[in-house]
Amino acid sequence: MDNKIENDPFSQNDSILSSALSEKVKYLSDLNDSIKNGNDLKVYELMDPNRFATEVKGEQPDQPKASFFNLAADLKAQLSHHLSNKLIDYLGTTYPFFYYHEYDLGKFNIYFGNWWDHRMFGELDAINVQFNFAEDEYNTLAKSFELESQNKRVNDDQMRELGQKNEKLTQLIEDQTKRDQRKEEIRKQIKENEEKSPMPWEAGKVKEEHQQLQDALLELTNIDEQASDGRAAIKKNENQILALSKEETIYNLEKQNIRASFGSFEAFIDNNNNLYAKYLQSLSKESQVTDGE
Amino acid sequence: MSNENTDTEKKVLTTPELLNNYTGSIQAGLDNGSKYVAAFKSLNQTKELNDLLAAAVELTNYQLNTDFVEFPHQFSDEDVQSIFFERLLALSNNADGFAISNSEHVQKLLAKFTSLGDNTFTFTKSTKNAAGFFFGPTAHNRPLFYLNLKNKELMFHGSALIDYFVVDLEGLEIGAIKQAMQVIMQAAEVLKESFGFKIDFNVLDGVNGEFYEFAAGEIPEPILDELFVKSADNKYILMSGENGGASLTLDNDTKLNVYNAGDEDRPKWGATIHDNDQKESWLNLLLDYPFIKDWYLDNKKQLEILSNKFIFG
Repeated sequence: MDNKIENDPFSQNDSILSSALSEKVKYLSDLNDSIKNGNDLKVYELMDPNRFATEVKGEQPDQPKASFFNLAADLKAQLSHHLSNKLIDYLGTTYPFFYYHEYDLGKFNIYFGNWWDHRMFGELDAINVQFNFAEDEYNTLAKSFELESQNKRVNDDQMRELGQKNEKLTQLIEDQTKRDQRKEEIRKQIKENEEKSPMPWEAGKVKEEHQQLQDALLELTNIDEQASDGRAAIKKNENQILALSKEETIYNLEKQNIRASFGSFEAFIDNNNNLYAKYLQSLSKESQVTDGE
Repeated sequence: MSNENTDTEKKVLTTPELLNNYTGSIQAGLDNGSKYVAAFKSLNQTKELNDLLAAAVELTNYQLNTDFVEFPHQFSDEDVQSIFFERLLALSNNADGFAISNSEHVQKLLAKFTSLGDNTFTFTKSTKNAAGFFFGPTAHNRPLFYLNLKNKELMFHGSALIDYFVVDLEGLEIGAIKQAMQVIMQAAEVLKESFGFKIDFNVLDGVNGEFYEFAAGEIPEPILDELFVKSADNKYILMSGENGGASLTLDNDTKLNVYNAGDEDRPKWGATIHDNDQKESWLNLLLDYPFIKDWYLDNKKQLEILSNKFIFG
């Protein structure tokens, strides 16, 4: 049973296997050297040679390059931690308003600004050199930019509504004396109504009048109730307005900062989309400068 | 003039003895008066700070009347403090800022700050300590500071100072208000430098890092939200600080920090101010930045600065 057919149909031989293994060993040893030499540019190339070729070198290779990154894929967290050092330095000048917190090995939260109650804005992916913005936060910012061109703010409607509610409540509280007078009048009318001894053909009308007066009185006492809860409601609304204007203040600071660094939201987006290329080109320039020395 | 009580158990005095006792008692009363006059002269005229303090301490709670000699016209203990305060400033080259305004009326002297117009001030004796006096505007029953010359203590009352200088005097030129505060500060400095008084400057303390402790202990987040919004409206940005606190950089690199100096279980929120000249105090800050004043007054219940509870409580 150990007889093999003479010719290997896959033309496998040890030298091919050995060369494949050597390539892998070389890959890992290159990666290791690049880490040790602090050559992040090379690390990025080794991690994704195809993206590197097209986006950084501007090449259009006919055939995809062989990628061995799966050999080190389980070390992503460690690699990310290593790569984040230089990347965050670079981002510190291009995106001076972002702050990062490494909440787990190689994992970074992005904070927009370092002002009071700054927003957590998503995560930094150091391996792929990209921001993964938190969708809600990013969308609100985009909306804020969009509304700004129409001279509006994200929370305008809500704030206006709360403001109007408070005006109404204040009015209700102020009108208490008026209502008290009105209630007194109605009570008097009810008493007069009850003292009437109508002719049978008028009885229906008197009864109807009585009902109307009762209804009017009930409506006024209902309003009284709203007014008596008014102060607490006003305070609650004021707190909400404060929270909303805090949000607006934050959006404003974010927009100001983006404009100061990029000129416009569009330019910011554009830079985000080309971050990989821009960062690696800057690394490449840096290494040429140091090589030249 | 009867002396029945002293006679009961002793033998009956002879007439010369009786008259001798009588003149002796009057003489003692007169001597007591002379001593008072000497001290009062010193209070009024001495050029020496040490003599001035000694005279004021001696005259405070001075028992001028005796059984045999009574003086109908007397200055009160409060008046002695006013005179002391005025002369203290005069002797330390600050004669211009503060003056007694109604010296023609004996008793209950009133004083004015040159820069504060017709507002008058006076001292009131503490009910807890005979040597302690509260100084405040005549129109309000709110002491700005407590002065005890005997124990060498001067303590400022933070929230009363703010109520008076920031709220009651609102509309007055800030420079004039600061000038009056400066006069009080000068007096405090002299007391500290010359006599080693123990002084609690409270909201007047301009030393960097002085902790102005808020009454509430715990400061809820919306209060800082409000400071954030009000700062931004005035082109200042409240930054997030350590331990959930916040910091605000104002003009000339003046920095306000609001933070919890305690821990989560026992919060102790308050503020510190850092400035290049170590001059900016909490009270100055409220005068200089209307938005901080509004913030403080909106949340006064929580943000009130604590003062010595034992003295002022």
